[in-house]
Amino acid sequence: MKKYIILICTSIFLLTSCNKDTTGAEISLAYQMISDKIWYLDYNQTISSKGTSTKTYIGQSTYFVKFLKNFTTVDSDGINGTYTVVKVNGKLQIQVLAKTAGANSLEYIYDIETLGANNMILYYVSSGSTIKFFYSTSH
Amino acid sequence: MNKLKHLLVFCCIIGAVQLQAQQKTSLKKQSTKSLDSIYLFNPFRDKVQAIKSGIKKELGKLFIDFKDNNVYLLSGMSFSKQFINAGGYNSSFNYDLANSKSAFKPGYYAGFRVDGKFKEKHLYSFAFSLDKIATGTDYASSTSLQPFIGNFSRFKADDQFLNFSIAAHYRKLLPYQPNDRTLFYIVAGPALDTRLSGQSADNLVNNNYRRFLLRADIGIEYENKSFYTLFIHYKQGVTSFTKSPVATHLNSLEIGLLMKASDLF
Repeated sequence: MKKYIILICTSIFLLTSCNKDTTGAEISLAYQMISDKIWYLDYNQTISSKGTSTKTYIGQSTYFVKFLKNFTTVDSDGINGTYTVVKVNGKLQIQVLAKTAGANSLEYIYDIETLGANNMILYYVSSGSTIKFFYSTSH
Repeated sequence: MNKLKHLLVFCCIIGAVQLQAQQKTSLKKQSTKSLDSIYLFNPFRDKVQAIKSGIKKELGKLFIDFKDNNVYLLSGMSFSKQFINAGGYNSSFNYDLANSKSAFKPGYYAGFRVDGKFKEKHLYSFAFSLDKIATGTDYASSTSLQPFIGNFSRFKADDQFLNFSIAAHYRKLLPYQPNDRTLFYIVAGPALDTRLSGQSADNLVNNNYRRFLLRADIGIEYENKSFYTLFIHYKQGVTSFTKSPVATHLNSLEIGLLMKASDLF
């Protein structure tokens, strides 16, 4: 009887013991969702203590940015460079190291509020205001 | 790891079928080669034989009141759907619900079942099967991403699973009997599913799916005496297939056929 109990316990252990690297999976999924797409800016929102103002770019010529699978990025302003997705303090971030059309170095970081197959909300906080960017893949 | 699990389950099924098949082949006339293998010294075969008889002895002690056992092979189609309440689940990702289909999707399964009598009175069955499940999804709640329009969910349900299912049924013969060859049974009991397949990249993020799932199984069986049995079962999720705060109930309708293993091998 002991043999069967050991066999059952071993089977349960084998089936339940595998732990996954969830942070690695999260970053990998973020790369998968973000890359090889053109992201068009649909809305821009500024949230401050005074209130929320929203600008829409739907139906207009708008800013866009490409994130490629080889970890390079280029946008409609001619800024190109590399990007990485990292997790800092429990939040996903896109960090970009780029150069402007005039060859000036540029570094910027956006927090990811939410990311989907066809939409993405990025934001940063500056002087007490939160600036949000609503991107989609269709324009 | 998954491949090893599949192999283990496959070996169990083959082993059980093989046991049944051996009972029949022993009646056939034996060839010189098989006679040689019986009388020549073979330590591996003896060891296997010793393990087999040990298991039989132990099982005999354990299942002393379980009599008249017959092994049946079973297979069929299942139609499954997940009922999801994402609750306060939070993640960095969102999924457009416009692409999800709230329908019972078809899958299939195969395995074996042992039918018998407990204390020569109560009919029972133990079923073991491998289930390839495809599911539709029904989300109870959604989120709106203003100023984006549309319904989104922060949880995306997987729609493909490979499960190993063990079910125990109590069977009751129904008084309705249109002719001598036809019997109807009602069956009910618990079913424990073990998820053998991995999770999608979307669910690996928070390791959302559980390994085990308990379901209540109820059904009707039509036995065409000594030929085959047709059955229809409904499995209702009792425990959530996902970890808190997401509650997911996987329900399936199974239609299938049972045949005595000894009739086939």
